[in-house]
Amino acid sequence: MRWWVAVAWIDQLIHEAEKTVDEVEIFYVTGTSVSANLKQKKVDLATTTEDCGLGIRTIHKGRIGSSSTNDVSQWRECLNAAIASGKLATPQEWKGLPEPAPLSKVTLSFDDSVQVKPAVVIELIEKMLEGAAEHPAEVASGSASVSSSQVTLANSRDVRYIDKHTGVSVSLEAIRGQSTGYEFDHSSFFDKVDPISVGERATFFAAESDNGKEIATGEYDVLLSPLAYGELLGNVFVPALSGRNVHAGRSRLAQSLGKIVADPMITMYDDPLLERANGSVRWDAEGTPTRRVDFISEGILETFAYDLKTAYRFGKKSTASAKRGGFGGLPSIGHHNFVVDGKRNEIPDDRVVYVHNVVGAHTANPMSGEFSVELSNAFWMEGGEFDTPVRSAMLSGNVFDLHHSISGLSKESRAIGSMILPSVKINRQHIIGK
Amino acid sequence: MPGIQYYDLRHVTGQVTHIDIDNGVVESAGSSFFNKAVIRVLSGTGWGVLQIDNYTPCTGKKFDAILESACRLARITQENVILGDAPHGMLSVPPMKEDPRNVSIEEKSSILSGIETAAKHPLVVNRRANFIEKIEHVRFTDSSENEYSYEMCRSGFNVLAVASRNGNVQMGYEREHSIHGFNLRHQQFQGKKAAEIAVALLDAGVAKSGKMRAVLDPELAGVFAHEAVGHASEGDLIKEGNSVLKGKTGQKIGNENLTIIDDPGIHEFGFDPVDAEGVAVCRTEIIKKGVIHAFLHNLETLSSVGNGVAGHARAMPGEPPLVRMSNTFIEAGDATDHEIFEECRNGIFLKGSRGGQVDPGRGIFQFNAEYGYLIEKGECTTMVRDVSLSGEILLTLHGITLCGNNRTMSPGYCGKGGQSVPVSDGAPHILLSDAVVGGSGVD
Repeated sequence: MRWWVAVAWIDQLIHEAEKTVDEVEIFYVTGTSVSANLKQKKVDLATTTEDCGLGIRTIHKGRIGSSSTNDVSQWRECLNAAIASGKLATPQEWKGLPEPAPLSKVTLSFDDSVQVKPAVVIELIEKMLEGAAEHPAEVASGSASVSSSQVTLANSRDVRYIDKHTGVSVSLEAIRGQSTGYEFDHSSFFDKVDPISVGERATFFAAESDNGKEIATGEYDVLLSPLAYGELLGNVFVPALSGRNVHAGRSRLAQSLGKIVADPMITMYDDPLLERANGSVRWDAEGTPTRRVDFISEGILETFAYDLKTAYRFGKKSTASAKRGGFGGLPSIGHHNFVVDGKRNEIPDDRVVYVHNVVGAHTANPMSGEFSVELSNAFWMEGGEFDTPVRSAMLSGNVFDLHHSISGLSKESRAIGSMILPSVKINRQHIIGK
Repeated sequence: MPGIQYYDLRHVTGQVTHIDIDNGVVESAGSSFFNKAVIRVLSGTGWGVLQIDNYTPCTGKKFDAILESACRLARITQENVILGDAPHGMLSVPPMKEDPRNVSIEEKSSILSGIETAAKHPLVVNRRANFIEKIEHVRFTDSSENEYSYEMCRSGFNVLAVASRNGNVQMGYEREHSIHGFNLRHQQFQGKKAAEIAVALLDAGVAKSGKMRAVLDPELAGVFAHEAVGHASEGDLIKEGNSVLKGKTGQKIGNENLTIIDDPGIHEFGFDPVDAEGVAVCRTEIIKKGVIHAFLHNLETLSSVGNGVAGHARAMPGEPPLVRMSNTFIEAGDATDHEIFEECRNGIFLKGSRGGQVDPGRGIFQFNAEYGYLIEKGECTTMVRDVSLSGEILLTLHGITLCGNNRTMSPGYCGKGGQSVPVSDGAPHILLSDAVVGGSGVD
């Protein structure tokens, strides 16, 4: 796509909209990807995608309308639907879409060495299988994909931003007897993804978890891997930091600003400008220039996340936390690179139950934080070494409360979706044996 | 085209209308449009698949060029995919009682607002109601000149009430989704019910965890059938060796009273008039009288795995079909609800579902109830919150000792491989001995 072609219809759309509404914003995404799926050790399916989505928001006298389509040639119908939609919305305080800001044009999550070609995914698959051969477990399924996309944001205040993103992702599922192992990796940067290690770790967990031993019900110190911790954090804790949930009465943290909500060693922030991180962007989904947002500093809750709509309504400032779900989705409050940080220590020497993954974290109570999940690939660990695998057990507790019992963070962090997390040691958690 | 053994094209266009009301404020309301296609080709190896947004139907050289690019892609695959034989054909889509397109969005918004307002209560700090209506026009063609087209409309709503007192935050959640047309009218009671449950949960106790007898209500027992049995019977997982049910056809894994069915043809929320490969849908008895009877298949897994029935391929618009469940249920037995509670005597009654998950290879499942009651001497007593159930598929099914005589279905969505499809699950009340219940209460 050449930029001047895009500008022509975008400018026309904005011009047309301004005849009827105070403000208009368009969000236009095009993308392409190639992926291959493994069934056991053979590729059985290869896919290319051509994605395209246009989302339009209109604002008129504080009423926000929206619509989306895959078909850009139908932008007039889409604009009319957005305007009609605005007539139904309850009017709210609105102080305008962002003005253009002098932002660097250097892309943050784009790697021109990512080639969206079938040969590249085959190479990733072969490397994964090479790694998988390290341990005695069967490959059940897997996939590799490469993608690139271009995002255009334009509004009636003359914002015209373009950004490019790339993505590489691999995953593998392995099984030995009745023991499974799953690993994945993803990045915007080709050299940050390690397919050999993904294959190796998937078969390692399947092989090592075989012949697990029962564990007695009781209180144990646990070490949650970034993956297991991310499941609990992402389903319960992070949504409670959204300004919209806070003001709507849907957050347990609503009354906790300035209070201790985690162990003093814990810091949580969103850093959209991190170098070589997957979620890095210079402007959010509404065109607000991004900046670091410190949610929790040394255990104390400092702020919540806001987009423009929620900020205007409740007299706050946008924290540039607007994100869009998929192609043509509406903006809502999210994060770019959500980091859990703090004083790092070695993997603990004392005996803990290490939990690689959990099953069923999305069934947690997002209001109260209560959860009970099945453990996946859990082991006794001592001196940082895997010992006996735990066959089957549940971990039960409260996501908010357990943050007060954190007693250690691993030195290494890992990207899990748009979160960057260490392994987290938590004291005295309730495990239910079978 | 030379070299092409098989192709199919599934093109879906449509419109989604939504209304979101949050504490009396219409946050957003309106319509969006989509146009998505998926083309799959087999030419001697595995699948070459193109997923195209904004697809323009074409024929002749233009379509041949599309097939050729899918063929080129297929050349990187290694598996020799062979398709089984299955009958083609399409059921008619049941007529809607009231077509939501004949109701203005203003009226929909006003009725939804009534449901949201009904959740008002002094202890309720947040009420939220959503309406969603999705109209899909599906067109399917394949290389054997099978051609189907149909239109489906799914619509429904959910209402959430959040109650809060002294830092204790609890929620009540009700929903209703349907293929039978506009279903918002006369539903204010659902808002009231959500509020009542949220408020009652403020005073609920916490369940003790451990092994006990449990009675599951039809909604949760349906989720149990879906998570614990349905996924593990999907042909693609069997083929990968990633299911504990692999190689167990004919084996007894449950009591005589246990029969579990998947049927895309019944007029529930998971209804499909024809599957996503153009195959006729039919009833599949996954477990028949406690014995593993048939797996769920698409054409590929029917040929490579066998022991089951094709017609279970489903897809989101623009996505390649996967083996999926549709309407999954435990058949009704002959026990009365009174007999079930009497037989349980002391245990726990689990109601409603907050969802679940399964690791079919390990045979481990987990799901969460919305709330429950302790059962003491055959009677429901104290309300409890945040109770979950987990277990091993092969051990747990023997524990279903009684099935009630009255089955009901509940609508929902199921995720797999990044795709979410509409489903329904159902069951009668069931009694489960030796259930592993998770709760934060300790002795």
